[in-house]
Amino acid sequence: MIRFILRSLLSMGCTMALVSIALFALLEAGAGDITQKLLGAFATPQQRASYRAQLGLDQPLWRRYTTWLVGNDWWLETRLGIPLLQQTNPQSGEEEWWALVEGQPTRWKMDGGKLLARHPGTPYQTADQMWRNDAKGEQFFWGLDESNRAVKWIRSAGAETWVLTPAGFRKQGDGPRTYIPLQKGLLRGDPGQSLRTGRPVSSTLFPRLRNTAILAGLAFALIVPLALLLGVLAGVKAGRPTDRIISLASLVATATPEFVTGILLILVFGIWLKLLPAVSLFLEKDALFADPSLLILPVLTLTAVELGYIIRITRTSLIEVMGRPYIRTALLKGLPIGRVVLRHALRNALIAPITVIMLHTNWLIGGLVVVEAVFGYPGLGLYIYDSALFGDFNAVEAAAMLLVSIAVGTRLLGDLAYTYLNPRIRLD
Amino acid sequence: MAPIRPLHPAVLDAASDCRNGRMDRRAFIRLATLLGASAAAAQVLVACADQPPPLPQSTALPDIPRRGGTLKIGSVVQRLDHPARLSWVEGANQVRQVAEYLTETGPDNITRPHLLDRWEADRDLRTWTLHLRRDIRFSDGQPLEAADLLFNFNQWLNPDIGSSMLGLLSYLQAANVETVDAHTVRLHLDQPQLGVPEHLFHYPALILPRSFEGDFVKQPVGTGPFRLLEYTETERAVMERRPDYWRQAPDGQPLPYLDKLIYLDLEPDARVAAMQAGQLDTLYQPRPSDWQALKNVPGLKVEAISTAQAFVLRMRVDQEPWNDVRVRNALKLCQDRSKILRLAYFDQGDLGLDAHVAPVHPAYCPQDPPAYDPERARALLAEAGYPDGLRVTLTTKNDLAEPEMAQALKELAAPAGFDLDLDIVEPSAYWDRWTEVGLGITAWAHRPLGTMALALAYTADEAGTPGPWNESRWTDAEFADLLRTAERTLDVDQRRATMCQIEQIMQQRGPIGIPFWRRTWTISRDAFINLRAHPTSYDLFSDVWQRA
Repeated sequence: MIRFILRSLLSMGCTMALVSIALFALLEAGAGDITQKLLGAFATPQQRASYRAQLGLDQPLWRRYTTWLVGNDWWLETRLGIPLLQQTNPQSGEEEWWALVEGQPTRWKMDGGKLLARHPGTPYQTADQMWRNDAKGEQFFWGLDESNRAVKWIRSAGAETWVLTPAGFRKQGDGPRTYIPLQKGLLRGDPGQSLRTGRPVSSTLFPRLRNTAILAGLAFALIVPLALLLGVLAGVKAGRPTDRIISLASLVATATPEFVTGILLILVFGIWLKLLPAVSLFLEKDALFADPSLLILPVLTLTAVELGYIIRITRTSLIEVMGRPYIRTALLKGLPIGRVVLRHALRNALIAPITVIMLHTNWLIGGLVVVEAVFGYPGLGLYIYDSALFGDFNAVEAAAMLLVSIAVGTRLLGDLAYTYLNPRIRLD
Repeated sequence: MAPIRPLHPAVLDAASDCRNGRMDRRAFIRLATLLGASAAAAQVLVACADQPPPLPQSTALPDIPRRGGTLKIGSVVQRLDHPARLSWVEGANQVRQVAEYLTETGPDNITRPHLLDRWEADRDLRTWTLHLRRDIRFSDGQPLEAADLLFNFNQWLNPDIGSSMLGLLSYLQAANVETVDAHTVRLHLDQPQLGVPEHLFHYPALILPRSFEGDFVKQPVGTGPFRLLEYTETERAVMERRPDYWRQAPDGQPLPYLDKLIYLDLEPDARVAAMQAGQLDTLYQPRPSDWQALKNVPGLKVEAISTAQAFVLRMRVDQEPWNDVRVRNALKLCQDRSKILRLAYFDQGDLGLDAHVAPVHPAYCPQDPPAYDPERARALLAEAGYPDGLRVTLTTKNDLAEPEMAQALKELAAPAGFDLDLDIVEPSAYWDRWTEVGLGITAWAHRPLGTMALALAYTADEAGTPGPWNESRWTDAEFADLLRTAERTLDVDQRRATMCQIEQIMQQRGPIGIPFWRRTWTISRDAFINLRAHPTSYDLFSDVWQRA
């Protein structure tokens, strides 16, 4: 068993690594020129090139991949020769990168050909003494700018950069020649900057994941026991009125798309009866804990859609198992029907529903887009959808990797559940 | 008691016009306050023949404003950095609770001083003196002074910042902003301009402290009635009452009445459901379908207001077939305006002429909207060389009412021989190429003066190149001269005479059709008092209060 788990974990790791490469390559190939999407059709080639450089997209592919995965602060420290420090801005609560110069956190900018430096909370002061000379006699400086990037300035040869703002492009002289956005990497919990919000992906992604996990988890905790119970009931009473009612009701609920169920529930419970919150309004970050009733309608909607699948699979599976010779033998030798079902049939009959349940966990986490949109629920599904529409590649990559790890993780759980239910399935 | 200041001579002229019945009260008050008379003085000067000045708001109201309460608003919460760069009203609405403008244009389209105590213009409207109030402090405790104004003007006029104020204040150089004393700034304009106070209420013109570094979320300091507590892009923005706001309620206590504002970013349909269920109190710019869904919901009140917002059918005159004025006029004749208004916007608007001046503008020249005449349109098409009709693509965005308007136009234009292929794209895709499509329907925002949109969209620079927002590429020497005249004409009657000519030219040979000016709605829970509709859709909440 231990060997099996270790082997599974190893294969999980390999799968994730392969998937991460494939995902990165896919986005690379599929997205085409990302600036086309972000800047629209009328940006000039200079604006595109400048913007690509600012995003660090002109770095070689392998370096971008390793940066994305494990970060680049460690090799930049050696390259810059200055220790780097990540600290929280007390005003915005965001992580900021600073370089430690003589024990003081420092950032720089070039203005009018002059190098200026500042420490947290202090204004810029001239720092022209920090210029260094390269082999060609050009003065240059590698430092950190205001946007968490390691940049290289060349004295009296500022690049013309195009900075994208919500009001369009603005041109800035005195720009750096090279940009490397600082990142700790996905494995260290920092998937980079979101282009849509202008803030770190992690500051949105993890609260969204938490919201979705709570929604899906609750739905799951409700659906699984209920569906198995009803499925077994229908299976045992196959062909009788109980079975007919359960089967028909679950078929109707499952065949109704979730946006119809959701809107119906909103209309009845939210707007007519005013019993429950119609829409999941998050008045604060932790609204779910302050007002758990926000979850009721979304969970019910998910339940209605999901319940039917599992009921029907359980029912069919149980009917099939109940027809096997060993069950007939058990019944013939006089065992009570309840005991036959619970002790002998159920274990075998559960294999199929468990597979479905495990497959649906992924759907529950990532495929909640429709339910989240109907209820205005700030979850992961909606986040991926909006990010993909926007072309926010850092956000899409991070969220997709999260989903992949959940998928791989649930597969392992599913495998473990099989062995428990049926020891004949040997894992070693 | 404030010292008595000499009134601008034009104010006295206008007051006599007003008494003679040549100018209505509203136009007079606007002009008088624009030129530096206080609103109260203007009310006194006005003894216009037609109507007496209204008494101050009746004090017989049984309600005494109550303090406390939370207002929940449905609106997108966008990426935000420098307020000078705001390019959407929604984003500005959230900053507006924390920072304020020098002036304020009210729902009555009259502009009054706000952070300013008063302004003065010289006789030829080229020197404007702005006097700041002396009792205002930023939320970080620093006083508001002329140095802050200077900082803000420099930010707006700095091309590196990228503010749309730069285009609006094209008549002002940064070097010509003069500090007179700690609370006075003087603007020396390159050319006469009537609209300075209106321009200071353009949505990015929010006044920031001189210590501002460029990211409002990190440094949310302003003079406004609320303080920013939380700003989570794409989710929510939360503000709480500032106890030391400079404006006072009639009871002598500082405004605002409300304790908290919460802006919530929801999918449009979820927003409507939340309004119906009582979870949201108001929402930004309801769509016509939202208005339909909410207008009869108990507990909600709907206030409509006429605006200068329009869906402009515009033709690119530098492209076939729109370079032929007969083809343009043929398509304009295909607008059955009242039918389009009914089909696309539930009759919630005012009929338009094919000129970009709206009935709400002070100098609008009223004329009968042209009739629907497919026969004449067909004849014009034949004359232009298209006897068998013409097949063209009409591009617009899938947004408020544009698809419905495009569909209505397609049917109405068919009898005249137009075969319109509709190309309905996502809003962002349309905004990506709105200036490029041959025939399109573009949504234009409200501007308080009739000359503002004309100057933006139908003029060229000195070299004859159409301006960046001139989507039709239409330029006309006579029109440009008249527009320049209108921009420097103080007298509203005189300006109206010029506007009559401008409207004529645009109807005869212009590049646009405007079937209607849309109304906008403010839909809010009726427990909230003073939540007024504003033609610009600005949220102004300092005196809003919630009934118990």
